[in-house]
Amino acid sequence: MNRGLMFKAAHELLAATLFCGAMLFVMESLLAYVLPLFEDQFSEGFMQIRFLQRFVAAMLGSDVAEGLGPEMFLALPWAHPVILALVWAHAVICCTRIPAGEIDRGTADVLLGLPVGRWEILVSDTAVWLLAAVIVLTMTYLGNLLGASLVDDSTQASTSTTLIVLLNLFAMYLVVGGLSWLVSSLSDRRGRAMTVVFVVLVASFLLNYLAQMWKPADRVSFMSLLAYYRPLIVFRDGSFPTHDLTVLFTAAALLWLAAGLVFARRDIRTT
Amino acid sequence: MRIVETRGLTRYYGSRCAVESVDLSVPEGSLFGFLGPNGAGKSTTIRMLLGFLRPTSGIARVFGRDCWRDSRTIKAEIGYMPGDLRLYSWMNGHQALGFVSAARRRDVTKDGQRLAEEFGLDLSVRVRKMSRGMRQKLGLVLALAHRPRLLVLDEPTSGLDPLMQDQLHAHLRQMAATGHTVFFSSHTLSEVEELCDRVGIIREGKLIRDESLESLRRRTGHHVTIGWKKPGSMNDTPPPPCLTLEHRDRDVWRGALSGPVDDLIRWLAAHEVDDLIIARPDLETVFRRYYNEPTETS
Repeated sequence: MNRGLMFKAAHELLAATLFCGAMLFVMESLLAYVLPLFEDQFSEGFMQIRFLQRFVAAMLGSDVAEGLGPEMFLALPWAHPVILALVWAHAVICCTRIPAGEIDRGTADVLLGLPVGRWEILVSDTAVWLLAAVIVLTMTYLGNLLGASLVDDSTQASTSTTLIVLLNLFAMYLVVGGLSWLVSSLSDRRGRAMTVVFVVLVASFLLNYLAQMWKPADRVSFMSLLAYYRPLIVFRDGSFPTHDLTVLFTAAALLWLAAGLVFARRDIRTT
Repeated sequence: MRIVETRGLTRYYGSRCAVESVDLSVPEGSLFGFLGPNGAGKSTTIRMLLGFLRPTSGIARVFGRDCWRDSRTIKAEIGYMPGDLRLYSWMNGHQALGFVSAARRRDVTKDGQRLAEEFGLDLSVRVRKMSRGMRQKLGLVLALAHRPRLLVLDEPTSGLDPLMQDQLHAHLRQMAATGHTVFFSSHTLSEVEELCDRVGIIREGKLIRDESLESLRRRTGHHVTIGWKKPGSMNDTPPPPCLTLEHRDRDVWRGALSGPVDDLIRWLAAHEVDDLIIARPDLETVFRRYYNEPTETS
């Protein structure tokens, strides 16, 4: 790892990390506090609307038609679209900087003119990104803690269960980051790379949603990222999602490795 | 020792050939001018030397090492300033020096500060607030601060004022005098002529000349201007075989002399001459001559 590259990465990721971390803290504490307050009203209305049931099932990764327990209100703040969008946005912002961002703004020549290997650049940036990820997810966790502390004790999850969900969210975050590195390695334009990743993520969400009601989509739903992020099951059963985590961590590692191989072999053209 | 050496260096972008079979040889301690208009293949060649681009075929070596495989090792001893220089806008000069020092794992801040002082650059200004000339100066400071064995400059003086250009030229000459090698790409011929001792001319991706400036001029011959004492007296006289006329009127002949000057002097002795100028052509004349020659393909 290279100290200079890490300093540069830290400086460039600071604003996005503070912004996303603060937003996640506020949103997570609001959701964790507000959602349980409306449990009764929400349950009455929820049972009437099939579309809403499917949407929530797609978010939580489990069928909720049988009824709404307190676990659902514990899981919702972790799977709310705003939370997922912020977490994904942070990963995409951090992981499309190299090489697409550098080529796009024309600084790749200065960076690669230095005696640093391409793997070294990727590893140094990844180290800083992982640190930023820890900060962002810690803020999310603290927001959840704050929101949950304001509601009554009966609807609070154990710390270990919440940390398992956080680990699952982290694993999903890594996959989004890995995908962003790979797309960025294949691109010269950061905007294009970000768009591609967002399209893949939206498609993944849509597939997970369609899988609730359409058999053909259900058959390929294993390709959806959200198929491996099911906070409701963790809160309901208290089980450790070994399979989901294995799939997510393996996918993240493979995507990152592929990104490194592409970056190390590709031509860098800025003119 | 050859600092830069390429053999049959070729690079295609899809079906378009950007550089074709370039054989370059840059000796240690030389000031090498790499000449050619925009799109001739200068930057592509430089990008292959720095390991940004992988050659389609051929060999590119710097310090005897392969430019693609050993790029990282090579760049430890290279200072590079790209043609279209873009620096990190959030950095100021001090941060840029700190970043380069940390990335190079070598403290270059003292030398960088000295150079900045020499170039009249305020290092406390952020890049985003710098003028083009200031950014160019900072780029030079960053490229020179670690006293590289090879300095690769891609059109470095665009944006610099004449005084700064003179200062840079003096600095580069001093570097070359102490054994450092300068690889200098430009399309400003007067600059290359003033600075470089060796020139490579690239046209449509092909290297058409790589030799010393002096030898290039010698090969091109002399530029001759003859003023006749009696206007019109030479109207019907053919020029000697050694003289190719480019301009001819009643008073004055202008042309290119090939071969030794003696032949022309002997021929002139039989005529009444009012004025005579025999000079080596400037680089611009040489360059234009090479560029106006048809290529095999065009």
